[in-house]
Amino acid sequence: MSRLLDRPPYDTRDDPTFLAELEALVRHHRAGCAELARIWPQIGACRTAQDVPFVHVGLFKKLRLMTQAPGIRHERLLLSSATTGAGSSMIQLDEQSTQLQSRSAQAILADFVGPTPRPLLVLDGLASLRRQREVSARIAAAMSLRQLATDLHFVLADPDNPASVKWDMLGDILSSSDDFLMYGLTWMLYFAFGAAEPPRVVRERLAEKRFHFVHSGGWKKLETRRIDRAAFDAALLRHVHPDSRVTDYYGLVEQVGIVYPLCEHGYRHAPVWAEVLVRHPSTLVTLTDRVGQLQLLNVLSLGAPSISVLTEDLGRVVPGDCACGRRGRRFELVGRIPRADMRGCANV
Amino acid sequence: MSEHLRYGTTSLGAGVLVLPFDPRACVLAWHALGREMLRHPLPAFTRDEWAYLVSFLDERHLGEIYVANFGEPSAQPPERCAWLARPRGRIALWLPNNVSLLGPLLVVLVSLAGCPVRIKGGTRGADLMSAFLDYAREHVPDGPLKRYLHQQVELDFFDHSDPRHARMAAEAAVRIVFGSVVAATAIEALPHPPDSTGVAFIDRQSEAWIEPKALTIQLLDTLVKVFSIYGQAGCTSPRRVVLLDASTTELSAFRERLALRWGETSPGEPEAYVASNNVMARQLAAALGWDAMCTPANRSVLAVGDTSLPLLDEPMTLHLVSATLEEAVAALPQNVQTLGYAFAGRVRQDFVGAIARSRIKRAVPLAEMHHFGPIWDGQEFWRQLFEIVEFRSQAEEGPR
Repeated sequence: MSRLLDRPPYDTRDDPTFLAELEALVRHHRAGCAELARIWPQIGACRTAQDVPFVHVGLFKKLRLMTQAPGIRHERLLLSSATTGAGSSMIQLDEQSTQLQSRSAQAILADFVGPTPRPLLVLDGLASLRRQREVSARIAAAMSLRQLATDLHFVLADPDNPASVKWDMLGDILSSSDDFLMYGLTWMLYFAFGAAEPPRVVRERLAEKRFHFVHSGGWKKLETRRIDRAAFDAALLRHVHPDSRVTDYYGLVEQVGIVYPLCEHGYRHAPVWAEVLVRHPSTLVTLTDRVGQLQLLNVLSLGAPSISVLTEDLGRVVPGDCACGRRGRRFELVGRIPRADMRGCANV
Repeated sequence: MSEHLRYGTTSLGAGVLVLPFDPRACVLAWHALGREMLRHPLPAFTRDEWAYLVSFLDERHLGEIYVANFGEPSAQPPERCAWLARPRGRIALWLPNNVSLLGPLLVVLVSLAGCPVRIKGGTRGADLMSAFLDYAREHVPDGPLKRYLHQQVELDFFDHSDPRHARMAAEAAVRIVFGSVVAATAIEALPHPPDSTGVAFIDRQSEAWIEPKALTIQLLDTLVKVFSIYGQAGCTSPRRVVLLDASTTELSAFRERLALRWGETSPGEPEAYVASNNVMARQLAAALGWDAMCTPANRSVLAVGDTSLPLLDEPMTLHLVSATLEEAVAALPQNVQTLGYAFAGRVRQDFVGAIARSRIKRAVPLAEMHHFGPIWDGQEFWRQLFEIVEFRSQAEEGPR
């Protein structure tokens, strides 16, 4: 159980504790995950975060990696949406880590949306929550706000159709509070809510309600429509009370509970129980103030070896303090590594 | 329409190939284009691809194709004729999405047969076919080949649900498909003339067998080059190298030397997605039991193991194993295509038998693994572009 979780997320960093916990977790995962022991046959002391070995994010699409150890009870399998055609990531969830990850998400998101619980509206269908043994990345993302919610409402009739908002139901829910959280995937939130024209009765009620929209996921579907962040935020906020806000967060499905919301000054911050590095794709040396592959580390995962993941997202670690006041490493998310099909004759 | 008669002698006896143009002029026109290509390369092609295309268009190479199939040309009609060959008719050609040089090479070969061709190009990936066709139409010397390329070669791009697939199949005398088993089966199921011919070149895998004593620096560089061009995406690229009868030490030393040559022959950095995928592939290989390492700059992955380990479907991963000849034959994939080999001296006595017992479709020296030709996947497909008519001259006939 990480001691770091007892501290505010953006407190002064305690790197000795962080590294000691990470090193213990490296040993734990090597002992309990045979594949990992073969991937990391020799490891030295973790004197800095750079010394901590990583698992490439793509490996979770190829193998169902799990760490066996006394006290670890694996529960459901978290599946990402297979957006790149390379299959879904398979993340084995366990009871103990889920508790830690839930505390993490609550602490981080409370710092951005405020600690007061309020009704949470989720742009998904209730059926998505009822799947046995498996949980989608979208539901997992929504559930990261669960601890900040008084109650939960799924507002789509069809989880895959943003045009299926149950406006009548939403209209009724709006009378229950003055403040709401609404979570959706970025593109889903835009098409379901930002670009939609709610019925007049709902529109009138919305105008009086303070919303905090929280969204995550890629912008690809919006880029094709030339919707940038400013247009996105404006589209969401036009229906609701002027004090409403929008928070965009980044996170890996492989590292549930560790989310990186965008601060008021355009940066993302690592909480004290996490760390961010940037590596050059060809040399793997760590970079500062230059764009490279993001490596995300944390001390919250016990049942799957996702404590240190080399992503295929591009980012830049920015030196110095952020004007928002949050301490800890800050970074910019630049995008994904551009891909191209290899020439050959083996595929059609 | 004027017809050109090319006389020659094959195993059937003397005969005549009837074409709508002079085949020698066609060969020379392609050769001239090759010379032009040396001066003005197209950026869509890699250096290696362009160089291979140029060498493919060499007049000796193309002329050999006629000779191999219809004999040495003879100026005089034979006294006794046994056969007449003529183009079979319209050809429909389906190319895969990540097509490399297959499209351009096929068009060159088809042109030698004088058959009109309709090509369905891949809807994703780089379009080398259009690039080459446009270039050839512009730069080939005026004459029959230029007219052929403008009037008889059609190139289209459409998705798998398009009705033009059915039209292509219905009107073609020969259907040529490069693609997956599923794609080839679907195309073969389309209504087509009962006397038409189908040629399917489906997903295949290749490998290389090398004797340790053959491992010179030149051979290592050849292996790097042969693999690097397409990685596993090429059906003629080796996915696995078998070091014949090698010890564990020899295999490890081979990997070290190969990695070193990779760094020497491939300076600079690969695309970020290639490097990143190789980092992942190295870990995947290790997880599955391979002793895997990335070559300099994460350009590729060299995985050392044995024939019992599962091969990775990762574009730039080359598997290195040691095995006896018999073990190598037993470990070949079901869909094996090309075997690239390198022996220290002459080809081993037991090698021919090993190939005969296998499903190998091509066995060529390592450097020639990607060389395309009129025999492919065990089929004399270029010959199938012709009808062979039994045509006996009168002197042959008489009362029996």
